[in-house]
Amino acid sequence: MRDALEGSQAIARAVSLCKPDVVAAYPITPQTHIVENLSKLVAEGDLHTEFVSVESEFSAASVVLGAAAAGARAYTATASQGVLLMAEVLFNIAGMRIPLVMTVANRAVSAPLSIWNDHGDSMAVRDSGWIQLHAADNQEAVDTTIQAFRITQETELPVMVCMDGFILTHTMEVIDLPDQATVDAFLPPFEFARKLDPQDPKSLGTLVDPGFFAEVRHSHHAAMAKALSVIADTDSAWESATGRACGGLLTVEGDKDAAVGIVAMGSTTGTLRAGMAHHPDAGPARLIKLRSFRPFPAQALIEATDGLDHLIVIDRAISPGLGGILGTEIAAALADVPNAPKIHNHALGLGGRDIPETIYADLMAAVTDPDAPLVFDADMAKLAPEDR
Amino acid sequence: MTVLTRGAYAAPGTSLNFKTGNWRSTEKPVHIHAKAPCHAACPAGEDQQAWFAKMQEGHAQEAWLNLVTANPLPAVTGRVCPHPCETACNRAAIDGALAIHNVERWLGDEAIARGWEYPVDAPAPDAPAVAVIGAGPGGLSAAYHCLRRGLKAEIFEALPEAGGLLRSGIPRTRLPRETLNAEIERLLALPGITLRLHTRLGRDVSLDELNQSHAAVLLAPGCQESKHWDVQGAVPSDLHEGLALLREFMDHGAFPEARNVVVHGGGNTAVDLCRLMKRAGSEHVTLITASGLPGPGTDPDDIINVVPRELEEALEEGIEILDHATVNRLIMKGSKVTGVEVVSLKKEPGSDGRKRRVSFEGTERVLPADMVIPCIGERVDPEGLNHLLDGNYFWPGTPWGKLEDGVYGIGDARGDRGTVAGAIGDGAKAAEAAATYIAGGQDPQLDTREEMPAAGLNPVYYALSPRAEPPKVPPDARDFGTEIEGDIGRDAAMAEAQRCLSCGNCLACDNCWTLCPDNAVIKTQELASDGSHYLFDLDYCKGCGLCAHECPTGYIQMVPETA
Repeated sequence: MRDALEGSQAIARAVSLCKPDVVAAYPITPQTHIVENLSKLVAEGDLHTEFVSVESEFSAASVVLGAAAAGARAYTATASQGVLLMAEVLFNIAGMRIPLVMTVANRAVSAPLSIWNDHGDSMAVRDSGWIQLHAADNQEAVDTTIQAFRITQETELPVMVCMDGFILTHTMEVIDLPDQATVDAFLPPFEFARKLDPQDPKSLGTLVDPGFFAEVRHSHHAAMAKALSVIADTDSAWESATGRACGGLLTVEGDKDAAVGIVAMGSTTGTLRAGMAHHPDAGPARLIKLRSFRPFPAQALIEATDGLDHLIVIDRAISPGLGGILGTEIAAALADVPNAPKIHNHALGLGGRDIPETIYADLMAAVTDPDAPLVFDADMAKLAPEDR
Repeated sequence: MTVLTRGAYAAPGTSLNFKTGNWRSTEKPVHIHAKAPCHAACPAGEDQQAWFAKMQEGHAQEAWLNLVTANPLPAVTGRVCPHPCETACNRAAIDGALAIHNVERWLGDEAIARGWEYPVDAPAPDAPAVAVIGAGPGGLSAAYHCLRRGLKAEIFEALPEAGGLLRSGIPRTRLPRETLNAEIERLLALPGITLRLHTRLGRDVSLDELNQSHAAVLLAPGCQESKHWDVQGAVPSDLHEGLALLREFMDHGAFPEARNVVVHGGGNTAVDLCRLMKRAGSEHVTLITASGLPGPGTDPDDIINVVPRELEEALEEGIEILDHATVNRLIMKGSKVTGVEVVSLKKEPGSDGRKRRVSFEGTERVLPADMVIPCIGERVDPEGLNHLLDGNYFWPGTPWGKLEDGVYGIGDARGDRGTVAGAIGDGAKAAEAAATYIAGGQDPQLDTREEMPAAGLNPVYYALSPRAEPPKVPPDARDFGTEIEGDIGRDAAMAEAQRCLSCGNCLACDNCWTLCPDNAVIKTQELASDGSHYLFDLDYCKGCGLCAHECPTGYIQMVPETA
């Protein structure tokens, strides 16, 4: 059913459709409306779940870890400092191969304190072993959330659904929410083979001596590689069920014959799409919307960038001392590709800096500027000369 | 080859397979039920910690039943004892020692009021009989403890009434007659005790006869003869000697009149006399004692041997005390005293190198006095037992008091005692030794457990709470008949019990069980063999000592691994 919903509200409804057994979350801007809407659904009797009010994100993550280990479908959501406070538990969840879904309403990480959007938070835990899927708009966020519950069950890898804080979470959009029957048919009941059972006791998170640790990490890495096809297949299955897809691992759009390509994640892709449409003088580009950041779809990226002379990679986070994270990873993925495109990596929209449509033309022009800065939209006039 | 479960889930029992106990290298925890300092200090052998524990559970009668396994006269000792238990109490350093004597007194009074029965059975008709000389606190205790050990007891008392020094030497303001009579009557009514009054050893019955007719003889004659007192050979013709004067007052209620009184001595009798003379109208009453007054600079062995609260009350009532002093000369007019020359004492090494107190020349001063009362102590009346004395006293040398086979000495007559509680404790020990002797065994074993020092406790687990204070008659309202210290009452007694730190004994607080990082403390439903509810699982105890450190009472101690 199509309805005008705020992003957070839509996510809460989507989570509700997946019938979680346990929800535990601690409010933090810009994720708060998701938790509020979930508790409202519970209060109004529309969602039957164990809603655990916790005192911190560390507890929220710990509660859903325990709940899932005990065989419950569990959900949490957070952002920014909340992600960092959860960090220890997030590594444990992934390492113990616990099926879980978490929404990250992407927000910059302090300091300086910023409540606004960038990808610094989810990037900070990119090596935690979670699947990280980025939604480009709220419909994708809804669809990806429902898919995430199926992916996590199938892969026994926790799934982080990343959506840009405020830009998506606080924006009203017409959303097509699937009906319950569709979701029930798409999403099998939660089963977890290794669930805790007093009749068949198991120990989780125990000490592993050096003779086994490497094997555990190898198996985790291998599971991530296998998850690539699960993510793609699940999106296809969703398309069969609803007629809508989110683009599997990545989507190629725009001018497929253009010599310049642009890769981006999340809501930036929508801005670029509009920029390209409204600034034809800047020239055409092949637009690559990357949905799966972890597992990293290197082969799909090689194929998607085939024939390009230039590839602009947009990061919404920065690794100080290295540069763009996505850009560096794509450069590594294309390193052995003959005639690989020249990579132009820029960080944009940090800490909620607005990305206007005109950025498209600026980025296209910068392809020929060897001195174009990494932080593309930084205004040097705001810095003392010695800090530039 | 071990195949890993996804997510490195481990097979159950993994943590139990890690026997962290083999990390332990030097020390292991053990439960040690050390003596509480009150118990160690109690001359009567009471375990105050044990009966306070019953009080803490709300069981006053059980507390009394525990108390009287050692001391059958708590209503008496709760009033007259100098309570070394309170001096020793580990709580003294925190927020004040427990008011043990007040609670003991309340329990004793409660037992009398409610008729709680002593936990003794009538001895068998053919049980051996023990002769007890003297019906003072030592003799009464000895007879009672004979009963507890299945023996009959026959008490021989020279006077027309039982009570000994309790009756003749302690003013009613400290020990009301009603209380004394009630408690003694209850004791003497126990089946198996016979009391022969007006029967004096040496006059009416001899030790040889008693040795023939009884399985053992317990001697608690007390000290009835005043020691000779003079000052450089001078003795006033109208000399009133301390204990005799006190007895006279107790019997007739009157004192000789005197304006300026000097009492020479340093015990309870001396202080009692000072207070009674003052109350009887004497203007100045001065106590001259070679001992020191309690204070930070005074060696504990040098402090005047008086119930501390009695000393406080005496000072309140205006008694002047000249400590570290002695009577140097009597100033006589004819054979009557008109003044006393006092000299201070100082410590000087003698020929053997040990320091002793000698006159400090130049400190002499004169006090006007129309009466001097010596209270320098009493000796055993040697009639009928002279061959057992070593000088003035028995000096038996062991806690059991053995003087000859089957003959034991008790109480003040031993020479190394001086309190009612000491006599009561002697009575218990002599009865125990006599019972063992009658059964053909050797002297019993002493309880050699260590005492729990304050440093062995972890006081952070106790909430501060002030010591209970009893009501008192104000100094100017004190008379000759009204008891000065009052009753604290049930509520205060029960609340005071909650202040007991349980030194050395398990509180069942669960600290060890909660805090053990290896779950090596196992909680048991039933009492473990050591009486606690906890066991150490040494397979998993890595010897960190956390339990011992966090044990509030010092019940858990780390001992060498080989111990």
